[in-house]
Amino acid sequence: MNFDLVLAGVGGQGVLSMAYVIDNAAVDAGFHIKQPEVHGMAQRGGAISAYVRMSHGEVASDIIPEGTAKAVLSVEPLEALRYTKLLAPDGWVVTDVTPLVNMAGYPNPSALFEVLFRLPRLVAVDATKLALKAGAMKAQNMVVVGAASAHLPVTREQLEAHVAGLFEKKGERLVKANLAAFRMGVAAGAMTDDLVKRGVPQAIAARVVPRLDFGPDKVPDVVVAAWAERLVRPDGAKVAAQLFHSRDVLALDASIPGTLK
Amino acid sequence: MHHEILLGDEAVARGAIDAGLSCAYAYPGTPSTEIFETIDGYAKANHLPIHGLWSTNEKVALEEAVGVSYAGKRALVSMKHVGLNVAADPFMNVAVAGAHGGLVVAVADDPSMHSSQNEQDSRYFADFAQVPCLEPSNQQECYDFTRDAFELSERLGVPVLLRLVTRLAHSRAKVSLGDRRPQNETKYCPDPALYTLIPVNARKAYAKLLDKQAALREWSEGHVANTLTLAGQGKPGIVVSGLGFNYLAEALGPKLAEYNLLRIGAYPIPVKKMRSLIDASSELTFVEEGYPFIEKYVSALGLFREKPLHGRLTGALPRWGELSPDVLKTTFGIPAAPSLQLAGLDQVLVPRPPRLCDACPHGDAYSALKEVMAELGPGTRVMGDIGCYALGYLPPHQAIHSCLCMGSSIGMAIGAAHAGIKPSMCVIGDGTFTHSGMQPLLDAAHADINIKVFILDNSIVAMTGGQPTMATDEQVVNLVAGLGVKREHIRVITPVPQKQKENVAVIREELAYEGLSVIIARRACVTFAKTIKELERARKAVHP
Repeated sequence: MNFDLVLAGVGGQGVLSMAYVIDNAAVDAGFHIKQPEVHGMAQRGGAISAYVRMSHGEVASDIIPEGTAKAVLSVEPLEALRYTKLLAPDGWVVTDVTPLVNMAGYPNPSALFEVLFRLPRLVAVDATKLALKAGAMKAQNMVVVGAASAHLPVTREQLEAHVAGLFEKKGERLVKANLAAFRMGVAAGAMTDDLVKRGVPQAIAARVVPRLDFGPDKVPDVVVAAWAERLVRPDGAKVAAQLFHSRDVLALDASIPGTLK
Repeated sequence: MHHEILLGDEAVARGAIDAGLSCAYAYPGTPSTEIFETIDGYAKANHLPIHGLWSTNEKVALEEAVGVSYAGKRALVSMKHVGLNVAADPFMNVAVAGAHGGLVVAVADDPSMHSSQNEQDSRYFADFAQVPCLEPSNQQECYDFTRDAFELSERLGVPVLLRLVTRLAHSRAKVSLGDRRPQNETKYCPDPALYTLIPVNARKAYAKLLDKQAALREWSEGHVANTLTLAGQGKPGIVVSGLGFNYLAEALGPKLAEYNLLRIGAYPIPVKKMRSLIDASSELTFVEEGYPFIEKYVSALGLFREKPLHGRLTGALPRWGELSPDVLKTTFGIPAAPSLQLAGLDQVLVPRPPRLCDACPHGDAYSALKEVMAELGPGTRVMGDIGCYALGYLPPHQAIHSCLCMGSSIGMAIGAAHAGIKPSMCVIGDGTFTHSGMQPLLDAAHADINIKVFILDNSIVAMTGGQPTMATDEQVVNLVAGLGVKREHIRVITPVPQKQKENVAVIREELAYEGLSVIIARRACVTFAKTIKELERARKAVHP
């Protein structure tokens, strides 16, 4: 079994920490890995990426060939789009939706999101907001790892062990905050998958999930069901678009049909 | 024996430590920086008696390592490929002198120039110096070959070049680590004549180096990294070196077994195995990460017509740039796998170039400089140098107009002044200044050449991740004065937006002066503020 993964973001966003967690979880799960990273000049706010190649056999190339990656995990929406050439046609993208605009010529956000939401398999989260809520602004990377966890060939426990391990030296507060961030990501990712299972189109689920106020626990089925029921209606796409555009964060139980504007 | 997940660079470091390393020296440069960082960090954390330094430049680093070898102990020196140009003088000469204690020169090349000015291939340097070169193709080999390199260095009395490339230096995998060999005892090399290369000794030492070549060829023929696998007489053949094998295995998969294959990871080129491969094969393709080094040798610049040959020289592979599975798929006519297609992607996917950090002192230094440049009129140019501030070439700054090699800005400004440019200006950072900017400033001071040198002193070597600078604050002023620059024309400014007006005034004053001026823009790097405080404390402990 082979599983190729691309991690993406901007210098300083913790892409290499994501790689650390996934590398170690993969080795615990019995995989051979190779994990190259491109930094150098990138630490000055440029694009940064890492690949994680996992295989039950030896991994030959450090570089991922075109069309073979199973997923892109990104801490920034523009960076999420940079590696689609490496993705298999049915590959996943899991990304934070918070643009990091540190250059002239950053695309117009509405044009960017229009393209992003065309991705056939997408988990979108507002990792930046959830990280703040979890108590560590920089934990957006762990939100993204959590949101992707159901699509990775390692267990949630294997990942959590190394989230904790990574921050152990920095103190109990950061361990707790990063684990909370990871778990909020897990909840958001699971909600996306559950909505899709209940017939909500991927693009609609991906617009709604970033605007919900997740906690570290799984969202109750009854709440998911209520959201799904609301979003499969003919105006579901419109509701989702408005909600995404509003940038308001709704409580999960704001899902009672009819309460949405 | 235990396992750890290590970067290629880290595996080299750990291999060196486990080989009984006594000393390490380096100058930071992507992608080699983590080698010394790992040695230093691991030795300190585990209280190992390993000495070492971030040296002032690569030449000095290698000379320090040669001193260790002379005294019988094992030394590793690490640098990026262009750093070996700086260290070329001791490198070529220690090849002649030889190694007493094991001496390994780890050089990280950067095919595709991810963070470099060129993609020069260090195998040429090993060949030029007639010393062996080991080229690991994975992280385990980084560890094993480093250990092997020390053994070879002591057995044959030669320095060994260990060649890495970016994609290996900066890639992680699980590595098995072995037992640690004890360090050597301190013991001078028996014959000082070997290291005293006055002509009478140099001729003898050089003859010794030539005598070692037979043993080196024999070593290379038998090395585990040089394996010949024949699929059958008349089959097509492939010569593959270093990381190229990984991409080849990925691209060709089981089809690779249909080719006669010579893998090379140890140099000099194993000539007997190469002969066997040529004899057995209908044609040959060369797959090399880097320059077409083996291809040039074997094809005699394309003059050789014994068998059809394909490679970077013939256009079968791209002439330059990093290899990949997809590059090799194209070479061997294998289609790439279909990938995800996304409508409208091209309209939004813009590059994100590196940039100066928010509140970076260089940005404010450039604003002041730009204001003066505007007054001087359009087309005013400034010689630049290597470091974060090289980003000053890009928008929004566009304040510098050259970036050739470490320390080049001042020499180029001298030349431009002699060619009639006035005012002739240049920009250099504190780290690059002490690396190789002091010598050209000595030239300028010696002849009082009318150039305006801006030293951007941010108290750290920032671009490579925050390594210590050799001089900052008043040390820079004292160095500049010591080189002969008149005190009244050494001006210190603080590059902050609220002082822009007075900073511009200082620059104007110095431009009005017909002679050598040095303007030091002094403000600590914001990104490495914490490291700078730690380094300052460490410096005060050494120089109270």
